[in-house]
Amino acid sequence: MSLKHLLPAALAIASAAIAVPAHAGKTLDAVKARGQLVCGVNTSGPGFSAADSQGKWTGLDVDFCRAVAAAVLNDASKVKFVPLNSQQRFASLQAGEIDVLSRNSTWTLTRDASLGVVFTGINYFDGQGFMVPKKLKIESAKKMNGATVCVQAGTTSEKNVADYFGAHNMKYKSVVFDTAEAITSAFFSGRCQVYTTDMSDLAGARTKAPKPDEYVILPEVISKEPLGPSVRRGDDEWFQIVRWVGFAMLEAEENGLTQANVDQQKSSSKDPGVQRLLGVTEDTGKLLGLDKEWAYRVVKQVGNYGESFERNLGPKTPIGLPRGVNNLWTKGGLMYAPPIR
Amino acid sequence: MTSAPIGDAAWRARQRARRVREWALQGALALVLLALAIGFARNIGANLEARQIKSGFDFLHDPAGFNIGELLFDYSASDSYLRAFAVGMSNTLRVALAGIALASLLGVVVGLMRLSRHPLLAWLGGAYVEVCRNTPLVIQLLAIYLLVTELLPEAASAIAIDGVALLSKEGLQIAVPQAGVLALGCALGALMIGGAAAWLVARRWLEVGAGLVGVAAGALLALVAWLLAGVASGWSQPALDGFLISGGASLTPEFLALWLGLSLFTSASIAELVRAGVLAVPAGQWHAALALGLRRSQAMGGVIFPQALRLTIPPLASQYMNLIKNSSLAVVIGYPDLVSIANTSINQNGQALEVIVIIMAVYLSLNLVVAVIMNTINARVTRAPR
Repeated sequence: MSLKHLLPAALAIASAAIAVPAHAGKTLDAVKARGQLVCGVNTSGPGFSAADSQGKWTGLDVDFCRAVAAAVLNDASKVKFVPLNSQQRFASLQAGEIDVLSRNSTWTLTRDASLGVVFTGINYFDGQGFMVPKKLKIESAKKMNGATVCVQAGTTSEKNVADYFGAHNMKYKSVVFDTAEAITSAFFSGRCQVYTTDMSDLAGARTKAPKPDEYVILPEVISKEPLGPSVRRGDDEWFQIVRWVGFAMLEAEENGLTQANVDQQKSSSKDPGVQRLLGVTEDTGKLLGLDKEWAYRVVKQVGNYGESFERNLGPKTPIGLPRGVNNLWTKGGLMYAPPIR
Repeated sequence: MTSAPIGDAAWRARQRARRVREWALQGALALVLLALAIGFARNIGANLEARQIKSGFDFLHDPAGFNIGELLFDYSASDSYLRAFAVGMSNTLRVALAGIALASLLGVVVGLMRLSRHPLLAWLGGAYVEVCRNTPLVIQLLAIYLLVTELLPEAASAIAIDGVALLSKEGLQIAVPQAGVLALGCALGALMIGGAAAWLVARRWLEVGAGLVGVAAGALLALVAWLLAGVASGWSQPALDGFLISGGASLTPEFLALWLGLSLFTSASIAELVRAGVLAVPAGQWHAALALGLRRSQAMGGVIFPQALRLTIPPLASQYMNLIKNSSLAVVIGYPDLVSIANTSINQNGQALEVIVIIMAVYLSLNLVVAVIMNTINARVTRAPR
């Protein structure tokens, strides 16, 4: 053990409580033994993970967790949702308190390489934007010199806005809060002129404004924010399962399988790709440590990616986001799943 | 000599053996503790490496990459984490010192109110103490911050004392001298010199309270010096500029809410300490003072209060340290203190362990300094009367 590692660790004797046994290689067994998937989600992210007044969770990330539960535990309802703010999310995953982090978190090099977590894929291509009150008459992000900007602590948004304002030689004052509720309360009461976070978050936050029409989301997208689920580093088997559940949802949409028609397709389809996906001809689940109907259960109990999107973020929801780049590659978007074979 | 030692020599031999035994036991214990510590350290290090989490203090030299909303000195996103922590610590110190001053003032006033013979004053003091002491500090901070941001007007229609101060959602902006550093220097100089001079003069004429006179005179002279510097070098006045107010110095709503919240909460406990100190002075002192013909206010100020200080100062140190530690709740209302900046750093570079160690070390040193200062004051207050 080199001195470089001994020195900081020796100073923190009392925090030896961090020494939990690593679950490397054992997450699948632990989830099956527990009979429940523990999923880290957002405290309040409309469209991605939010609890309604009865305590029922809905959202794109929530659907993803339920899909993993359907694949692994045969039942999409066997999920325990743990709301986490932006400070706690990766620490909870590192410490083993949750099995999957599905909390609209951006996939970056620093997070992939140095936090002890690994991202399994992208379930929403997003970008960072700005929301301002209409009465300030700011038409473009380049006219925000000297503004007070509300931003959430410890997010990529904080760093991106510093880069953006620096690059355009504009000054700003940042007010940093630790929860989304605190920020929206400060922004809608007028404490800051600008709210910056991912575009999907802005759309969701606007739905909760006292007067949503008084706020406009500026057209500039200042960064790439690919959002996706992540798992602990070191457990390859669990990583593969979570990754391929995501791909299965995309493959299902590509093949036209929906919650409504999957039973009928399973019994009558002649397409070898569909038959393989639903476990009629081949057992792809065995290679992942699951059974052969893993993808069938995902589609039957949760739906394909497009259905999940329409249900949570689509034009018919209050958030009303277009598919845009989140459409399938065959329809001009960026969603592309490797073949399941 | 081959026979066993007796008498004095025997006693000395027994003492030596006892000392050897005790040192051997302590040495063994020290080795065990050291082994435990090294064992924990290796365990932590092994776990960090197994999960491929970076460790070490090298990150302190990396660029921080985030901006900080309130600064006492220059800082930009490309400065190092170390500088960001320094800014955070300066913000913590700023709110802690302001909080200690206001909390002490309010605490003494409310404590004396509770001791008053007027039932309304006593009741008001009691109500204040019960409300501020019995509600959680986090809730008080959130409530005050909500009030401040909801009730204050927008920057465009700020409450104004023309050219001097503007109160709005941006906070309190006040006009300050253009040559800010020079003005502060003059004020500080006036505080020291004027205060010392006033103290020396007051010592000759007053039995008790010369120190207080010195402090008050020093503060007054500092204010006068600062105003003179402003008049001489011109004022930087706050004015609406675009959609924001610029110019002057500003106290943000976050700072105001935190300062007010911390002061109210801690002043309730300080009020009780003051009351306890005054009530602990023997009744005979009151009787003697009144019998000598002193008015109540003279008796309280000259006889009772100085004796009450003996009992009040030691627990006061705890209250000040509590205030400093409670200032870490700033992260809840968006004030960029040390803990808030540490949280952002942890999220950016993932090194939770090292950053928390730094925070703990900083708070520990701050509180040790407070403890040393209060112990010195305590020693002076509790020395035997001349």
